[in-house]
Amino acid sequence: MSWMQNLSNAMVLAAIYILMASGLTMVYGVLKVLHIAHAAVYTVGAFAGVLIYTWVGNFWLALFLAMVISGLLGIVIYRGTYFYMLDSPRTVPLIASIGLYVMITDLLQKDFLMGPYQRAFPAQGAGLPRIETRFFTLTPKQVLILLVAVALMALLYVVLTKTRIGLGWRGAAQDREMAASVGVNLNRVISLNFFLGSALAGAAGVLVGVYNNSVFATMGDVVSYKAFIIIVLGGMGSLPGAVLASIILAVAENFLVATVGYVLPRDAIAFLVLIVFLMYRPHGLLGKE
Amino acid sequence: MAQLPSQSIPTLTPESPPRLEVRSVSKRFGGLQALKDVNIIHERGILGLIGPNGAGKTTLFNIISGFLKPTEGQVIFNGQAIHTRRPHQIVEMGIARTFQIVKPFADMTVRENVISGLGMPIYPRWLALVQRYRTPATLQASEAILRLTDLTVWAEARAESLPIGLQRRLEIARALATGPRLLLLDEPAAGLTAAEAEDLAQLIRTLNAQGISIIVIEHNMTFAMGLCHRIVVLAQGEIIAQGPPEQVRHDERVINAYLGQEDDNA
Repeated sequence: MSWMQNLSNAMVLAAIYILMASGLTMVYGVLKVLHIAHAAVYTVGAFAGVLIYTWVGNFWLALFLAMVISGLLGIVIYRGTYFYMLDSPRTVPLIASIGLYVMITDLLQKDFLMGPYQRAFPAQGAGLPRIETRFFTLTPKQVLILLVAVALMALLYVVLTKTRIGLGWRGAAQDREMAASVGVNLNRVISLNFFLGSALAGAAGVLVGVYNNSVFATMGDVVSYKAFIIIVLGGMGSLPGAVLASIILAVAENFLVATVGYVLPRDAIAFLVLIVFLMYRPHGLLGKE
Repeated sequence: MAQLPSQSIPTLTPESPPRLEVRSVSKRFGGLQALKDVNIIHERGILGLIGPNGAGKTTLFNIISGFLKPTEGQVIFNGQAIHTRRPHQIVEMGIARTFQIVKPFADMTVRENVISGLGMPIYPRWLALVQRYRTPATLQASEAILRLTDLTVWAEARAESLPIGLQRRLEIARALATGPRLLLLDEPAAGLTAAEAEDLAQLIRTLNAQGISIIVIEHNMTFAMGLCHRIVVLAQGEIIAQGPPEQVRHDERVINAYLGQEDDNA
């Protein structure tokens, strides 16, 4: 496989990582909570997506509604749990988050929801074309992932840097007390933060479901720790850092799998990258002390 | 000095001064009595809140601004109880504050810091949250506040790059952006040179002349005595004296509790 093909595959993987990690980073930025249950939102997004796609047969509608459902679940998680723990030591919401993840995943495995089975998500590439060049080929599914990820990240960029709510998030991420003292309604701002971050996770779930043509209740397991590697690598709470770390991790995984993959499995490589990197930059790529 | 634009600060009406009533407020933290039966009424002018360290001054500010709830008592602002409300709701009612440790939004520019405070009068509802924050209205309003606080030339600088004196001004500018009728300043002159402190005092007088009532916590006695129309002295959570600066300066309890310490240290 040419290095260009490897690179394009890495970019597809990076797109998924970015969608997943950006939501997590947004939540960490404002609440300073390691939101493990984010991975459960990702799974719920995939499940909602496959159900809606099965009913209506329209991928884009399924993606949109799955994002809305994931976003609403994010708000429910915030208002139902973290809201009551804003002034608690950080270990308290962390433990709650782990509990929520286990609870939602177990709940999804019940027969009246997903059950302990895999479901196919045969949306293919949602009608998008295959792209072939001299150097690399992108399948319709890969085009779909890149397209959706780039569009959503562009939207997120605009919201964060240009809008009132983005300014509120940036203020709350730096100092919640100070933000409240200039009239920022913290609950509203944090709820919207959860909505958008969770919607991105839901989109990631749908895209991964389509890519692997498979949705199952424990699909968030791997993603949860990968996303944590990324936000630690990027610098806790730094969105540009998370994007950069997603790309670095995806490239490292793809190229190292291609070279030493027979020695170490892909996920072990991810941790190896994290450990080596943090030895030299303990605050991550763009994190502050 | 520039005037605040009426469209950005719609509540500034010198004719109807805001009225703050602190009624029998007590605050306990476990076994520590931080405030005990504190009663203050403030309408117009500049009220100084002084007292030794641990007297409960900042605790009182935290209660008035909604960051702490009183154990007993009430805080009434313009006839409405505010001690049960959340900080942003109190800001919406017209009370803004600064903090003892200056904390601008470091990653934002000076102008963005000011615009962050404009949220209430310009964007009141959910949908407005996804509107652009740089609009002709916000730029105009922020420009007026930057001019008033002498920060215009720093408008596009990152807040963290400012020296402490300008960061303190920025905090006041950001508080002003919320359109306050009552401004709570927590040690605004801390860390300033004498010249900077005098500039700041002039700014505070100007704001007061424009109809904003002010309560200021201050350790610098010369600054407080020269600035305030009335002084309330707290010691160990209780009010031990209040009145015009000259009267308070000669109050024996104040000398013993606070000023005497300073003399001893001198």
